[in-house]
Amino acid sequence: MQYVGEHLWAADLGRGLTALSFVFALLSTLAYYLKGDQWKFLGRLAFRIHAISLFGLIGTLFYIMAHHYFEFDYVWKHTSLDLPPQYLFSAFWEGQEGSFLLWMFWNAILGYILTYSAKKFEGPVVGVFAAVQAFLVSMILGVYLGDMHIGYSPFILVRELAENVGLPWTQFADYLERFPNFADGTGLNPLLQNYWMTIHPPTLFLGFASTLVPFSYAIAGLLRKDYKTWIKSALVWSFFSVGILGVGILMGGAWAYEALSFGGFWAWDPVENTSLVPWLTMVAGAHLLLIQRNKGGVIPAALFLLILTFLLVLYSTFLTRSGVLGDSSVHAFVDLGLSGQLLIYLLFFTIGSLTLFLARYKGLPKKVKEDRMDSREFWMFIGALILLISGLQITLSTSYPVFNKLFGPDGLITLYDQDKVLIDPIEHYNAIQVPFAIIIVLLIGAGQFLSYHRTTTKQFFKRQILTLILTTIFAGISAWILGMWNPMYVTLLWCSYYAVIANLEFWIRWAKGNWSIAGSTVAHIGFGLIVAGSLVSNANKDVISQNKTFIHEEFPANENLLIHQGDTVELGDYWVSWTEQREEGYYQRYVLEFFKEDEDHSGELKPAFNLSPSIQMNERMGNVAEPSTRHFLTKDIYTHVTYADMRSMEEKGTEEWKNAFDIELATGDTHFLYGKYQVRLDTLVVEAPQEDGNLEYVVLGAGLSVTTMEDSTYKIMPIYAVQGDEGQHVDAEIKELGLKFSFDRINYESNRPVITASEHIEAEEPFILIKAEVFPWINLLWIGSLLMALGTVIAVTTRLRGK
Amino acid sequence: MKNSQIAIIIAIAVLIGYTLVRLGNSSTYSNFEQATASLGEKTTVIGYLDTEQPMDFNPKTITLTFTAKDKKGNESMVVYHQPKPQDFERSEEITMTGYASDSAFIATDILMKCPSKYNEQNEVQSDKIYK
Repeated sequence: MQYVGEHLWAADLGRGLTALSFVFALLSTLAYYLKGDQWKFLGRLAFRIHAISLFGLIGTLFYIMAHHYFEFDYVWKHTSLDLPPQYLFSAFWEGQEGSFLLWMFWNAILGYILTYSAKKFEGPVVGVFAAVQAFLVSMILGVYLGDMHIGYSPFILVRELAENVGLPWTQFADYLERFPNFADGTGLNPLLQNYWMTIHPPTLFLGFASTLVPFSYAIAGLLRKDYKTWIKSALVWSFFSVGILGVGILMGGAWAYEALSFGGFWAWDPVENTSLVPWLTMVAGAHLLLIQRNKGGVIPAALFLLILTFLLVLYSTFLTRSGVLGDSSVHAFVDLGLSGQLLIYLLFFTIGSLTLFLARYKGLPKKVKEDRMDSREFWMFIGALILLISGLQITLSTSYPVFNKLFGPDGLITLYDQDKVLIDPIEHYNAIQVPFAIIIVLLIGAGQFLSYHRTTTKQFFKRQILTLILTTIFAGISAWILGMWNPMYVTLLWCSYYAVIANLEFWIRWAKGNWSIAGSTVAHIGFGLIVAGSLVSNANKDVISQNKTFIHEEFPANENLLIHQGDTVELGDYWVSWTEQREEGYYQRYVLEFFKEDEDHSGELKPAFNLSPSIQMNERMGNVAEPSTRHFLTKDIYTHVTYADMRSMEEKGTEEWKNAFDIELATGDTHFLYGKYQVRLDTLVVEAPQEDGNLEYVVLGAGLSVTTMEDSTYKIMPIYAVQGDEGQHVDAEIKELGLKFSFDRINYESNRPVITASEHIEAEEPFILIKAEVFPWINLLWIGSLLMALGTVIAVTTRLRGK
Repeated sequence: MKNSQIAIIIAIAVLIGYTLVRLGNSSTYSNFEQATASLGEKTTVIGYLDTEQPMDFNPKTITLTFTAKDKKGNESMVVYHQPKPQDFERSEEITMTGYASDSAFIATDILMKCPSKYNEQNEVQSDKIYK
């Protein structure tokens, strides 16, 4: 059948380019594997053809997305007509297929550069790149072998989806026009419509892609049994990777903090964890390469860490894309059914590289002479080891879902009969990672005063007297200001200051501002500040939205504050008033005006600033709260709406009386109603006229007094008359307050009257619950992040220029 | 023996020791029956919202009360002293961390799985297409 209005040329072009880039990646791998200049030439040519077809395929996908060809499943799912053009990139990598393409894009660029720069090592280095690319392209091949499908193509048409094949609507040649569903796509998830989604994924994927370069050099060294030449290039690339991956991860944290209501910048979510771990091992590996260059003797460890880093990236890919994390992560990808293929990808490189490493292990150059305990290289080595252990700990704890799949009740080998889970992950990771962090920042500081080969004790201490004094003074003052007395935290604070001051002092006083180590100094200072900022902003986080209605001390309910529209309530040092609610696109914004008491203690309130936390009405994910933050130099005030009545007027109904609430009272009892009124049963009047000894009817009246916050009291008496089986109610209303009381019944067990109170619809003021937190000193974290990025850039450029 | 080897051995020992301790300590997913058997002990139950039973959120006291059914069919009243999560009614599965008391399961943390997020792939086409 000839369908009307389809752009089949794009499907053909896209799939053709996919096949082309897959075949040429394989060909390139093979050609590079075979030695000889002609083969190498062929391998290079094949890799370049692969890269160019890949760029073509990416371009094609962009084209169909930009032109809204909604017959394509990927276009239909990720774009819509009203999608602002600046979010086209975000839409492109929203899905698994697009994000694989993003990763391949960077691999292709880096590989392309390496075909020029790797020189002698081009064969094995670019060969490894080509092999990785072949695996990645296979994820978007979309080819069926019998029942098994290899990859999931972004160029598949909606009517070609397995679940749609053979459905009646596919029989219409003009289905695109006939069915309004195809007139518009579902669009980009509103949660992802912000600039972070434009910059975070490309940076992070460049970081992931960059870990492949040192890995390839390590494999190249092992294959060639040349354990010297690769180090120089690998060193620069591994620091490049440390920088980019670090920035990518921190951007994710900034995104979470600014635009998502996770309540902070780091939540120890599995997806975050598995991107942090390769960074930790890459930092360790890069520093080992430094030792190797300056002193030597750590080839086996360096090779191992660089290989491990890339394997951890693959493991991370497997975890986040296979659906394993479904229960434990809030932002893993939708499962595309690629888990088998992802597992093969992971196992191929794990087994391949580790086998090669073990096979060559005997021949690796080892230490000739043992490091002295007072040498810099010894302690750098210890630091690398701690980073590795820290990374492995995070990996193990993140892997619970995997262990459950392997050894759980339905696993391959059942070792335990109930799935295991971390009860309080944040506390768990913090408890273990804080001591690691202490050692790391301590080593970052102390390492500066140690020399390669050996250091005398006298020299070591004499050089840093000033640092030790300054650190102690600053840390002491800070702890005092912050009221931070937890010994573990104070230790970490001291050590992170020490890292900052030691690097600064060493660079200024002893290295005389030597440009060649400026990069490392700046990056280390940045890292120290990141640790200090994370520590203080988390440990001294203060929830200022205390609800003054007492429930129970242990219940965290008092962390949320109820505000009625127009009310002004106390919030920490401020007074806050919810003045306005407005709809903006996907958002319901709640404008909060903050006031501060006048300096002269006159009690007068002066407007300070406005915040507008919002709720995003997200059809796909459910409604999502978006925080609003006021930044100060020394602290941030962070607010988000934790509850709002999102029902429309229709859903709320037109009933006049709302919030019916039963109160059971004995005479003299008082009840607190709607958080605003005191209701007291003053008296219970019973009248039961008897004629001839027969009870004909009973009239009950509840004498209530209702007291408002303003201390005015209203006296009313709802009446309940019973005659035989029938009851009649005479309700009492307080018009001024919009309250109604009905004498509902007598509770025969307690023998007490039950009064039903209800509020008039107009008396029910709209309200929201908000949570407000103060994050002190969080700017240290962001300044530190910038410095660390800057330091890595300086370090990489000085190395590129210098040698 | 070399210093670095000693360091590596210590590090490995720490990691193995840690893993063993954690595996012993880490909690398992349980059900309401087990939770009630050990009152007050922190645990995690996976279940779903029983929509036949009343659900109530009182914003004044910030108390969400609902009835949940675990995977084995045990029912329990659950009390959650936090604002009601958006789209709570739409949730398909609820992971509740907390402890059992003699009258209800007191949840301190709730994680919901919404159908829309996961079934996006299939749900879209077939039923809507004839509108």
